Amino acid sequence: MKPAKSPRRFLRGLLVTLFWLGVWQAVSMLVAKPVIFASPIDTLRALWALVPTAAYWSAVLGSLGRIALGFFLALVLGLLVGIAAFRFSLLRTLLSPLLTMVKTVPVASFIILILVWFGSSSLAVIVALLIVFPQIYFAALSGLESTNPELLELSKVFRVPAGRRAWQVYRPALWPYLMGACTSALGMSWKAGIAAEVIGTPLHSIGEQLYLSKVYMATAELFAWTLTVILLSTVFEKAVLWLLRRVGK
Amino acid sequence: MDIQIKELSHRFGEKTIFEHFDLTLKDGGLYGLTAPSGRGKTTLLRILLGLLAPDAGTVTQGVRYSAVFQTDRLLPGRSAVDQLLFVRGGRRDREEAARFLSGLLPKNSINQPVGELSGGMQRRVAIARALWADSDCVLMDEPFTGLDETTLCQTADFILRELHGRTLLLSTHQKELLSEYPFEWLTL
Repeated sequence: MKPAKSPRRFLRGLLVTLFWLGVWQAVSMLVAKPVIFASPIDTLRALWALVPTAAYWSAVLGSLGRIALGFFLALVLGLLVGIAAFRFSLLRTLLSPLLTMVKTVPVASFIILILVWFGSSSLAVIVALLIVFPQIYFAALSGLESTNPELLELSKVFRVPAGRRAWQVYRPALWPYLMGACTSALGMSWKAGIAAEVIGTPLHSIGEQLYLSKVYMATAELFAWTLTVILLSTVFEKAVLWLLRRVGK
Repeated sequence: MDIQIKELSHRFGEKTIFEHFDLTLKDGGLYGLTAPSGRGKTTLLRILLGLLAPDAGTVTQGVRYSAVFQTDRLLPGRSAVDQLLFVRGGRRDREEAARFLSGLLPKNSINQPVGELSGGMQRRVAIARALWADSDCVLMDEPFTGLDETTLCQTADFILRELHGRTLLLSTHQKELLSEYPFEWLTL
């Protein structure tokens, strides 16, 4: 069981948060132009005004739905293809240049190409998928390769059925790699997904709202939407990792 | 089914382990295998288990083996009962597996993760797993490592009790402690 946070640690966390809020407030006072740099109070006020509106929730749900769909598609496909590539080395060799390309091509290039080919509505889904897929794929391969060979021999000698072998020998080896990949991929899927939305401006998306905030120079709203993305990304990451930890037990 | 090894030859680099080696294990026989270290006890067991292909020779095929390896090879983080259910049975067999284990382990340790058990207890879990599995022949590579004399005798009694007519081939350096048991001793 995870030990409960001690009051001392909690207090330290609170002080650190207050320190950075103070820095934010000080910088905004130094700049003294809300249109350039909104203060924490202006940001919270803008967020307070946005939260009760239907546009806010339709943008939140739209972006969340698209990015989550892209992430989970990548998770499932990355796992399946990773397992297949572990089993068939020819597939691994075949995919290697493609995945190296996907990993190195700038996200902006992908965003523009996808926008041209598929339009803006599925842009964030495909971008999140492309960002997350290689990470899950390589994690699946590395995890499976790290499987204890002694347990594999044991399974062979005792004629353990494939399903049980997969769950009790391969899965525990795979899971730490998958958790590590998901931890970094979750944050990246949000960053890339929102960036794609800003460029493609699909309807009912946070990206569209960020773009509009920029057009109207509504900096406090821009900050409020950014804060929303941070909160969504954090909650989404914690929920997915919690789910994976449950399955991995 | 008798297990026959015929004309077995195997080398590791320059070192010859077996040269035209023959051996017959009678169905239901109890065999103890002794030899100085490095003479090929583990190699012989690995060839029988199909984990090592010999350079030459034949081994009877179609035998269902279970084994105790030199290392325990337990699933980390799982209980002793889980180790048994990994090789045979499902959830419905939990109680039966726990009963089986209680012949070799204290009851309060049966559902503990194996990492929390002593080395000797982990060894006994590996032994129990080999006997619990469906097999025609049980191979044990130094099964008594880490067991004191009293526990060794209790474990040997358990092994003979739970064999139920299966063939047993057991390699050991502790032949003298097993002199009371009806093993046919083989030397490499």
